[in-house]
Amino acid sequence: MPKEKVVVDFRFREKLNKITGGKHHNYCYQCSACVAVCPAARFTDEFNPRIILLKALLGMEEALIGEDSPIWLCTNCYSCYERCPQDVRPIEVIIALKNLAVERETAPANLAKLSENIAETGMSVTVSSAVNRRRQELGLPPLKTIPLEELKKILEEDEAEEPSSKKRKGEP
Amino acid sequence: MMRLIPFWGCMMPLKYPQMELAIRKTLPNLGIELVDVDGFTCCPDPIYFKARNKIKWLTVAARNLAVAEETGIDIITMCSGCISTLKEAQYLLAEDPDLMAQINRRLKRINREYKGKVKVKHAVVMMRDDLGIEAIEKSVKRPLEDIKVAIHYGCHLLKPSQIMRVDDADYPSILDDFVTAIGAIPLDHDEKLLCCGKGCMDDELPLEMTESIFASIEASGADCMGLICPTCFSSFDMGQIMIARQKGKTYNIPVIYIFQLLGLAQGLSAEDIGLHTHRVKADKVLEKIV
Repeated sequence: MPKEKVVVDFRFREKLNKITGGKHHNYCYQCSACVAVCPAARFTDEFNPRIILLKALLGMEEALIGEDSPIWLCTNCYSCYERCPQDVRPIEVIIALKNLAVERETAPANLAKLSENIAETGMSVTVSSAVNRRRQELGLPPLKTIPLEELKKILEEDEAEEPSSKKRKGEP
Repeated sequence: MMRLIPFWGCMMPLKYPQMELAIRKTLPNLGIELVDVDGFTCCPDPIYFKARNKIKWLTVAARNLAVAEETGIDIITMCSGCISTLKEAQYLLAEDPDLMAQINRRLKRINREYKGKVKVKHAVVMMRDDLGIEAIEKSVKRPLEDIKVAIHYGCHLLKPSQIMRVDDADYPSILDDFVTAIGAIPLDHDEKLLCCGKGCMDDELPLEMTESIFASIEASGADCMGLICPTCFSSFDMGQIMIARQKGKTYNIPVIYIFQLLGLAQGLSAEDIGLHTHRVKADKVLEKIV
């Protein structure tokens, strides 16, 4: 019986390489060392870094950054980065996939909630008058002013930096 | 006197100011002058903000580094998230000149530049490498004798070791040595190096990981947990309340920041270092301190 034909989407792989800043994940030889040390994989069968890397090598965009992707179960513990004999840095591939999911707007809603504070207030935790009161009770100095103007300017989009989802020159 | 800029981040000053308090009370006893500077933002966080956009994450980190660099004084961080972001940003920018140029193009908008000169260390690494463990021992007025501490290293202080350069990520000793220096007993347990689970975006998994760690600590007979990371702290202090509510199991293991333990050993009271603000009260540890 003929084997099923596998089509590799090299364009998606390129997109990933652009964010990870190298071709590290291309060197994955599927040894599963990452799985052995992964706490998320230990607690659920739904998360398997080796399979995520395999799908990344095949460029399986839909499975990786579509709705309900398993990538969000990663605990961000860096054990896979530590253990990988090929310097694949699996977690960096997963983070790059998360960046692409954010662009595609398939990231879980609470990701925005957890991170938009930083762009808007300069802090990940909400600054409230209660915070300064608690600090005062403990005898701590008041919080310093946060340089929001500077933060806004450096976070503005840069025309020279094309987002990874945009087509490059010469691409159809 | 060694002068260093404390990079407080967000979690400590805003959510767990008792940790900032413990640092401010204990480091001067070791001959460290903390030089607070204006102009920092969140590091930014190495999980969610990085997951949104890696370039913006690097830009904000590089800006913070540039702010410190302008003063000529080096940085210490007390938060595992902050050290993770700042060290990784330094590593990536040193590794890739094109990326450095790209990030500096953004910083030029606010007339700043990151040159790669500022040194960044976690406070415990600075204490081990620059002060020496003996200096910690000398600052102790009341050794925490017979107090058994189950250390939780967390992930980001150690991994990836290629970038963090702190310790053997599989067999670390830096915090064990710290706890020994203040007279307490570091206890090994099965889940000593398990992730607290906080970064996992799932409703159930994080609590399962946290509970595995508590079950392992309970079996070890430790008096308390000693930890270094404010994010882990939220998993474990508030986490114990959640486990009691959702799983009906009460562990009652006090969760103490390593610099609070140092404070107790330096003779400070529980209130001096904000232990009274914790959900799980540390009474059983305090009773053992003479």
